[in-house]
Amino acid sequence: MYLTIKPFLVLLCMAGAFSYFFYKTKALIDLMRAAPGGVIIDRIPERTFMFLREVIWQSSVRRNKPIVGIAHTLIFWGFLVITVGTLEMMVEGIFHGLTISSLSPTVHGWYVFISDFAAIGVLGGVAFGFYRRLVIKPDYLTNGLDAKLILVFTATLMISLYGYNMFRIPLEPDAFINSYFILSTPLAAMFGLNGASSSLAFAGTEFFYWVHLSMVLGFLVYIPNSKHLHVLSAAPNIFFKRLGPEKAFEKTDFEDESLEQYGIANSTQLPWGMVLDLYACTECGRCEEQCPAAMTGKPLSPKKIIHDLKVDLLSHSKTIREKGDLGAIPGFVQNEGEISPDVIWSCTTCRACEVSCPVGIEQISPIIESRRNLVQMEAAFPAELQTVFKNLENNFTPWAFPADSRADWCQELGVKQMSEHRGAEVLYYVGCAGSFDDRAKKVATAIVKLLKMASIDFAILGKEEKCNGDPARRAGNEYLAQMLIQENVETLNKYQPKTILAACPHCFNTLRNEYPAFGAQYHVVHHSQFLRELVDSGQIPLNNKSDERITYHDSCYLGRWNGEYDAPRALLKSAGVKLDEVERRRTKGLCCGAGGARMFMEETIGKRVNIERTEELTAKKTKTVAANCPFCTTMITDGLKDANQQDDVVVKDIAEILLEATGKG
Amino acid sequence: MKIFVCIKQVPDTETRIKIASDGNRLDLAGAKWIMCPYDEFAVEEAIRFKEKNSDATVTVISAGPERVKEALRTALAMGCDNALQVALPENADSFMTAKALAKSIAAEGEAHIVFTGKQAIDDDAAQVTQAMAEFLDMPAVSVVLRAEYGANQIQAEREIEGGSIEKYEAPMPCVIAAQKGMNEPRYASLPNIMKAKKKVIKLVSLADIGVTADEIKISYSGFTLPPERAGCKMLEGDVPTQSKELVRLLREEAKVI
Repeated sequence: MYLTIKPFLVLLCMAGAFSYFFYKTKALIDLMRAAPGGVIIDRIPERTFMFLREVIWQSSVRRNKPIVGIAHTLIFWGFLVITVGTLEMMVEGIFHGLTISSLSPTVHGWYVFISDFAAIGVLGGVAFGFYRRLVIKPDYLTNGLDAKLILVFTATLMISLYGYNMFRIPLEPDAFINSYFILSTPLAAMFGLNGASSSLAFAGTEFFYWVHLSMVLGFLVYIPNSKHLHVLSAAPNIFFKRLGPEKAFEKTDFEDESLEQYGIANSTQLPWGMVLDLYACTECGRCEEQCPAAMTGKPLSPKKIIHDLKVDLLSHSKTIREKGDLGAIPGFVQNEGEISPDVIWSCTTCRACEVSCPVGIEQISPIIESRRNLVQMEAAFPAELQTVFKNLENNFTPWAFPADSRADWCQELGVKQMSEHRGAEVLYYVGCAGSFDDRAKKVATAIVKLLKMASIDFAILGKEEKCNGDPARRAGNEYLAQMLIQENVETLNKYQPKTILAACPHCFNTLRNEYPAFGAQYHVVHHSQFLRELVDSGQIPLNNKSDERITYHDSCYLGRWNGEYDAPRALLKSAGVKLDEVERRRTKGLCCGAGGARMFMEETIGKRVNIERTEELTAKKTKTVAANCPFCTTMITDGLKDANQQDDVVVKDIAEILLEATGKG
Repeated sequence: MKIFVCIKQVPDTETRIKIASDGNRLDLAGAKWIMCPYDEFAVEEAIRFKEKNSDATVTVISAGPERVKEALRTALAMGCDNALQVALPENADSFMTAKALAKSIAAEGEAHIVFTGKQAIDDDAAQVTQAMAEFLDMPAVSVVLRAEYGANQIQAEREIEGGSIEKYEAPMPCVIAAQKGMNEPRYASLPNIMKAKKKVIKLVSLADIGVTADEIKISYSGFTLPPERAGCKMLEGDVPTQSKELVRLLREEAKVI
């Protein structure tokens, strides 16, 4: 009787669960398809390789967190293996006796051999998961019921699999595959099931069959509505993610007169890539752990903003999918809402979140798009920025200095200008800091001295140079940024320099990664890279090496935005310096607090980021901190002043340290 | 209800002053031109008035050469409804400007309020507001920090020396000249900047309003730059030594005591 009904029962349960699953996932896919933006799939071989490495080989979850990563890898691989058996169980439930053995008993044997190990691996991973959530409880981890529930689900799934196998052994004592149950056989013996009656064995098998099946089907029902949606979305998100560290923000086409919205105000405007990002997040919190805003008490957490955006998007899912009253969908930034303007303005665009995300989410993109909306559509931004915007409009620098005086810093250095020396080998793009800021002018002077020492044929743009656009762009004023960019592009294209040397990582990054979209593709180098070559080729003789211990600070825009961690370190080492590295370095280097135009905004909430960073740097008790960015130099110097350590510790640019090592400083 | 704002386009505050080769005028060829910051307060005040009074329209006026259109577009982007350029030559003085502005406003119809900035930051003459009010036969309150607009009169608070406040009441129509602090001028949104680019700026010629070059009452000659500031001198030693040295220098070098 039971065996007659069972296929129908299994079919009914499966039909119910699968229909619900497909209905839910279809809604999610439809929501994503309703999002603006086209799909361009380029560089397929590279993407496939990355997919294999990060998804199948699981390298991205083990990066920075090997133990958690191993636990995840065991669960992931285990599931891949066990899912085959689960499908087999479903088929067998409908067509009694149809198993892998029907195709090949040997294959089946080897499969259960592997799956016995896989299940114990999953249980091990789950056990660690419980330990982490119940005992370690890291702050950055969203530790809700959702996560614990899924662990219980998974554990039950594995235990029921062993239960099923253990009762199958006495049920069919002569089955070929029994000798392959490397773990289930001793387990069965341990529980004294070897001599079990066939009716007990049958009852046990069926009981665990149904526990296992209901867990699997429960999973299907549960996943689309939970953070465990990442089981479906993380893999495609990784496949479509950005290849390499270089990133340029989306360029707004201001010539397009049909544009009515600048930046992103509400969830209908999120492009599909961002929607997939939201689906892919499982709230692991690795981003929040690294975020300078989150760790200093700001309202921004990259994990939370992604979660809040997802909640907002899903709350409008029906309206968006059915193309209802889209105009009635409110903006996601609300003064009293989860995403307040303070959340949006707290970001330093340091990209620690994006680099630490195992599934390739770009947390900064919606923040910048939101700033674009706030600034351009609503003219709502921190008051300090108005002066910055006006200065950029009128003087082409964020600071109030006459544009005329841009080349004054080098009047006595005999630096040529491109207008009088068109064929110069190297265009030294000084930047606003090097041109106007008293501290950074000294760095610019050191660079000029080093270039002259190496007999480099270089020139600067002088008055023709304008801010590269970084602060305006990151502050959301895309329109202003593009005015600056376009004027610079025209100037650069007039001179067609072979190499552009930038001493500010912000200039370097924008010129290198963002200018190509505006028609200026040049070989752009940061001074750490350029000077390293000159030292390596012997063009800068170092006759006064020091053996001082120095702490080095990675800048975000040279490091995470461009992947350059080695050149400045190599340069310091060639100057004889002993590097005393801090914990948060390279990809985990902590921002100084000035990126994302935060340099020009007041920091009134929580602890100041520069103080957090300065404390870490000075804990090494070195007399010198080395930096490669004028903003970092300013911020850390301010941090030292705040701690009254300005007489004990000095911040120097790597160029200044190198100049000292030449003995001709 | 017609509201007018008069704005002047001035060289950016960071401009380096150069004297033309003839010595009788400034060489502003490379200057970056902006709306006078005091006039920004006036524009903001006019727009805020409009936002509270739905029947009000704001017309922004600037007297000067072609370039002033840029400043007019900035005011349009901030929220003014119409713009008017009075084609005045570069060498127009305060008197001519005041007359031209007054006549242009009168030609546009009955003004309710005319807003201006308290002075322009280029020549700092602070003449046009009062002269224009005289030509318009309107009362004028200048250096205004706060104004309340009644149905037929305005109550205005103006700043005087020593940080004191004077309160005035003036019948409408009248001229109000804004002081820094009257409000926080807004930053134009991008859609408004785009719309402002397409708006037509009405051009008024001198002939239209019957003003001639005879109205120029001031001519300039012999510009010189102020002497360069000498560098400061740092005194060394402890406080008593420094004090003695300071007195000696004030007596012997500066000859002020």
